Amino acid sequence: MTSFALKNDRLLQVALDNEEILATAGSMVACSGNIKFEKALLGGEGLFGVLKRKVTTEQFELMCVKGSGIVYFANKAQEISILPLNNEKVFIESNSLLAFDKNLKTNVAFAGIAGATSGQGLFTTTVEGIGHVAVISQGGILAFEVNGIYPFCVDPDAFIGYQGNVQKEFIFDVNWKTMIGENSGESYQLKFTGQGIVYIQAAERPRPKS
Amino acid sequence: MPTYSLVNYKMLAIALAKEEIFAKRGSMICYTGKINFTRSYLAGGGVQNLAMREVTNEELIVMRARGTGKICYGYDGKYVTIIPLRGEMLYIETDSVLAYDSRLQTGTIFQGNQGGVQGIIKGVASGQGLFTTTFSGSGEVAIISQGDAIALEVTQKEPIFVDPNAYLGHKGMLTTQFVTDVNWKTLIGQTSGESYQFKFTGQGTVYIQAYEREKKP
Amino acid sequence: MIYNYETLPDNDNLNNYSYCLNVVNQMIITKGKMIAYYGMLRFEAIGVNLLDLIVQESLNTPRYGNNFVVVTGQGKLVLGDRACEIASYDLEDAHLTVKASRVLAFSPSLICQESTLAGYLTFLGTGQLIASSNGPVVFLEAPAKVDPDAILGWADLPSPSYHYDYEYIKDVFSAVGSLAGLKKSGEERQLNFTGKGTILIQSSEQ
Repeated sequence: MTSFALKNDRLLQVALDNEEILATAGSMVACSGNIKFEKALLGGEGLFGVLKRKVTTEQFELMCVKGSGIVYFANKAQEISILPLNNEKVFIESNSLLAFDKNLKTNVAFAGIAGATSGQGLFTTTVEGIGHVAVISQGGILAFEVNGIYPFCVDPDAFIGYQGNVQKEFIFDVNWKTMIGENSGESYQLKFTGQGIVYIQAAERPRPKS
Repeated sequence: MPTYSLVNYKMLAIALAKEEIFAKRGSMICYTGKINFTRSYLAGGGVQNLAMREVTNEELIVMRARGTGKICYGYDGKYVTIIPLRGEMLYIETDSVLAYDSRLQTGTIFQGNQGGVQGIIKGVASGQGLFTTTFSGSGEVAIISQGDAIALEVTQKEPIFVDPNAYLGHKGMLTTQFVTDVNWKTLIGQTSGESYQFKFTGQGTVYIQAYEREKKP
Repeated sequence: MIYNYETLPDNDNLNNYSYCLNVVNQMIITKGKMIAYYGMLRFEAIGVNLLDLIVQESLNTPRYGNNFVVVTGQGKLVLGDRACEIASYDLEDAHLTVKASRVLAFSPSLICQESTLAGYLTFLGTGQLIASSNGPVVFLEAPAKVDPDAILGWADLPSPSYHYDYEYIKDVFSAVGSLAGLKKSGEERQLNFTGKGTILIQSSEQ
């Protein structure tokens, strides 16, 4: 397993020993040793990835980082959390991914109802296998258990990811709608049931302007 | 002697007793006592500085606070770090300078591969280089960064490469060089403008922030 | 740390940037600041129905009434505001004025009124108030002069007045200022607090 460590809350330090990881393009801030960077595509995204890139304004590109040495990664001074995966599968909002082991399997899924064009949905990357995932958030990630006793609802703009046997549904609460107001576009909630963990951040992502 | 202390990770307090201090314009949060503020310019005179003033203008304006009392400084939610200097030379990216006082000698240099005034203007236009403020002497300099400032050690054995947009400053016996990594260039593409890196060799400390400044248009 | 309904604290911070409210009856919160919750909670906009009975006493602000919503029911609610620091203030027979855009939640037992200084809300009485800030809150004893952008609020103090720096006034009178298009920064104009009381300051400008 590649060595992922936090130099501080906002800086990821990866020591490579003839190893290979994937990271979002442009996230390298410093490096020493003999490191090579190559363009890479998110694993297994295929045709869907092209579609995704069309509808999301943001370029979600990955680079392959390999060689021997120390590489530092950061993104907009956001907090970084390292999730160790031990033959597990985690669903992470694609924009919140910073870096992960090359030997982890990834895939992209779109979860939503009204479709990508309205912005009412989420692009989620699934990461699966054994290795480390570095996730960025504003203010650090908060983990909440979903256990079937109490339903758990989150603001989709604060949602980061989840793992386990969790079902999610979008709820359009009329009350909620009046509460939020039209202009913010925040007219729905994400409700989780089942058994697992949900990750959120203490900040709302700005919505793409339509 | 003005005394520097951190109120918390985003706020700096400076106590003055009939003294003066220079700070980034717009960074004063509050003060008690009797203090007057006037505009001043960062760095000394000279032809080169005039050329620099032309290309950087706003960045070089600082506010001089003079009097007796206590002033608190903070800027745009950024973290504050106090760097003590004991005779060495410190280079800080001009935009990241928060406060200093007249115990230190300041200067402005352009770190790039081109020389001369024309080179500076060309370098600024192409984004191939950085304006840096130099501090020398003994005293304190307060700097700001997105997230805390991270100190990376450079040793003879291992040079370090830094993204210029994440660079804050450096001190010690270091040689700096702008390198263009062809590999890097093809990877990132023209649009992001991230086609070159800052290479440090020698012995010293490089300060970076976990944030990439956006390019000025 | 993985939170669930039981391990979530009752009315305490989860980290610097998030706060967990234990809602027992009602709470007034600012729209859009809820980031997650467990339990059976209902959110009602002000001015819909009988909820007015709850708020007609406490929410005495036509200008900001629309910013708030009443939460009823039982549950645990997590507040977040753009990853800004969040703090809770237990008020007892208090007189506290806070920047309106920084108020996240307050108990209906408090009376909320508009301050004479535009953009601020004054809270009177006993109850809980939750507010965010850019950087940790610093408490300062008056008298002091403060950059208006960095103010979070003040307690037990008369409304402040503006203090202009002498150089700035000189510039304005000599018309240099208007020619140079002077922008006011904290160094040129401050809020001047006099009297005895406490000023709440954010560690950075808004």
